[in-house]
Amino acid sequence: MSCADETSLGARRGIGRALLADPMGLAGLVIVVLFLSMAVFAPWIAPYDPIALDVKAKFQTPSAAHWAGTDHLGRDLLSRIIWGARLALGIAITSVGIAGGLGLILGLVAGYGPRWLDGLLVLVFDSMSSLPMIFFALAVITVLGPGTATLILVIVLVSFPAYARLIRTQTLALAGADFILAERVMGAGTARILLRHLLPNVTGPLVILLCMDIPVVIMLEAGLSYLNLGVKPPAPSWGNMLSEGYNALRQAPHVVVVAGIPLVLATLGFTFLGEGLRDVLDPRGAGRRWG
Amino acid sequence: MQWTTDRRGFLTAAGAGFAAAAALPRFAWTAEGDTLRLRVTADFQVLDPFGIIGELDDIIPRCTNVTLVRLGDMREGNPLRNWAAETLEWIDGTRLAFTLREGLNWTGDYGPVTAADVKFSFERIAGSDSAWAYQFEKLKEVEVIDDRNGIIHLTEPFAPFTVIALPYYGGHIVCQKAVEAAGGSYTTDIPAQCGPYLMEAWEQNQKVTLVANPDWTGEKPSFARVEFYIVTDDQAAQLAFEADAFDFTRVNVGAAAQFKGAMPEGAALIEAASTRYAWLTINMNAEPLKDIRVRQAIQYAYDGEAVLAGAYDGLVQRSTGVVPPSSGYARAANLIATRDVEKARALLAEAGAEGIELNLYALTDGTSQTIAQIVQASLAEAGITVNIQPTEDAAYWALGDKTAGEGYKSIELVLMNFAGGIDPTENLVWFRPDQIGVYNWSFFDNAEYESLYQASMTEQDSDKRRAMFNRMEDLMEESGAFIFICFEPYLALHDATLVPVILADGHPDPVSFRLT
Repeated sequence: MSCADETSLGARRGIGRALLADPMGLAGLVIVVLFLSMAVFAPWIAPYDPIALDVKAKFQTPSAAHWAGTDHLGRDLLSRIIWGARLALGIAITSVGIAGGLGLILGLVAGYGPRWLDGLLVLVFDSMSSLPMIFFALAVITVLGPGTATLILVIVLVSFPAYARLIRTQTLALAGADFILAERVMGAGTARILLRHLLPNVTGPLVILLCMDIPVVIMLEAGLSYLNLGVKPPAPSWGNMLSEGYNALRQAPHVVVVAGIPLVLATLGFTFLGEGLRDVLDPRGAGRRWG
Repeated sequence: MQWTTDRRGFLTAAGAGFAAAAALPRFAWTAEGDTLRLRVTADFQVLDPFGIIGELDDIIPRCTNVTLVRLGDMREGNPLRNWAAETLEWIDGTRLAFTLREGLNWTGDYGPVTAADVKFSFERIAGSDSAWAYQFEKLKEVEVIDDRNGIIHLTEPFAPFTVIALPYYGGHIVCQKAVEAAGGSYTTDIPAQCGPYLMEAWEQNQKVTLVANPDWTGEKPSFARVEFYIVTDDQAAQLAFEADAFDFTRVNVGAAAQFKGAMPEGAALIEAASTRYAWLTINMNAEPLKDIRVRQAIQYAYDGEAVLAGAYDGLVQRSTGVVPPSSGYARAANLIATRDVEKARALLAEAGAEGIELNLYALTDGTSQTIAQIVQASLAEAGITVNIQPTEDAAYWALGDKTAGEGYKSIELVLMNFAGGIDPTENLVWFRPDQIGVYNWSFFDNAEYESLYQASMTEQDSDKRRAMFNRMEDLMEESGAFIFICFEPYLALHDATLVPVILADGHPDPVSFRLT
């Protein structure tokens, strides 16, 4: 193991320790791990098939047989929440991941490439950012039709400009740094500078932003599904569950409450984790914590 | 002059302002006594009887225009009485004489309502491409005797004419001069009104206000103002009703059990059988559904009991067609009355259509979406994958409309429900071949059906008519293009001090509402 690798490993251990020492970050981490576990192990831990109908058992309140009760079609709500985690996190992580990757590449190119290309890309980022998110989403869904793939496309399109701008700013700031100039003088190629030096230094802020955006995407997916514009039934989307529960709000209020809990918890978890990561990755914060 | 404001001064001014606002009738918190507040689910689109679509489109002309006769409450057997007609008498089987009441006048200096207006109103729709042309299918002409007298001539004896043609939709009388001056038709701006109410204001997708017509000489309505509040969502409407925002609102089926347990104070619940019929359209023209075995597989796989329990709380029975049991003409049973998933699988295998995937279009309301999901699950058991396409109102009604493009030819499955009429022919008319691309979204085209329809229009014997209607529904089912779901239950909440009047199509008649 090289000295640099050991330093990097040490830094990562430092970040981990700092995150665990921060109550908010720890709470966020626990909640996120819990939801990720639900998503990964859904087929093994969900007590029932989330789309199996039993209309005679509709609107049952929480009981030993159905811990979270049943919905208007007699489907087990706990199973739908568990499978819903897979859907919500799957969409959020996939779309934010694609948007993050796209933003990273375009941001690096804009920040380190020729000025004319930078100008062109900034124009694209600004144009995309100027579109009102909800209206843009509705327009795309109207053209392509609702569905998971459309939803991911919408989220990628509305998210990547912010990531690209962040990376571009970071890249511009680092492009004139002494260690980059030294690399150039020593004959390092553009690819090496981008991948070995710029990329590791600009990904930290991006990770924080991605983590903070996951709850936004979860809420967007739930909101569009609530409006019948997102995930199609009978997929156990938390937004669909809220929408279906709302139709029986007075008759069976537990459905809305049960469907709302994972949304609130997931939002809080990812937000806390993002805040915690920001605190530990912030250089000024790092000085305080690790000094 | 120096302007100063302190907390005391602000509170005094605000208090005075609120008091003044509350004293103005139009700002009053509640409008009991002289204002009737009704909730409707959608805004109107066309007020010209030629192009009326539904709900508010028909409710408003019932208030602002007149018809020769008027229907009473559906719960009282839809009694018919003269309205604009002072007298209405059959001279013989094909001639119906009418005399208009005195004192019916158009707004805008268009003078009195005349027999020429009746002639213009009916003959412009008869034989046209209006959806209501069927109402005047047996109309030969309207003969104008003088300003107030006329004779309606039919091509052959047709007794149900008075209930099919005259009380609603195409039966609304319009002002010939005003409509011609407007270019021959109109949409949202009525060129001349003559009914008990006049349209005062329209806040698009929010509210429509009518005020009593000061020149109305007929039976005075009980309310000086009628306000229609457009609220699509049933839950929101229910909450608003409980907050005293309306005096009348329809509620969803699920609310029945809740209200039977605890009725909001001062409210009353209407629970009645309705003539609104729901069915699943299976488009025979769509490529994957051209093989009748595939359509029959869908009929066998459909779980009717689950739909009734899940979407209608078991409040209604499965329907056997589109003719309501209350008419006395309904079929005894469906041909495929029992679910048989194995048979459905066998039919699909025989047709080489295993693993078929179909799109099911349904409106976005809770009941439609619930039915759609049960249909999806029940068809999945037979190996049919159904993709639910929740569709908003405007896009939904364009699905089967031939004027909206070629899409109507290839829609696959659609959940539909229509407001029913009084005579069975009013419900059966939509499945005739001339309705393909209009309201016959199944592409059902059967010569025997058409011939029976024509014969049923003039047949006077009830037993023979019943046999004809039953055979027509057999043909519909045999085609594999229909699954009959139910006649939807009618549920509405209203202020207990009101006596509402609900017409056969399930829409309220504000003119006849009164206080207890």
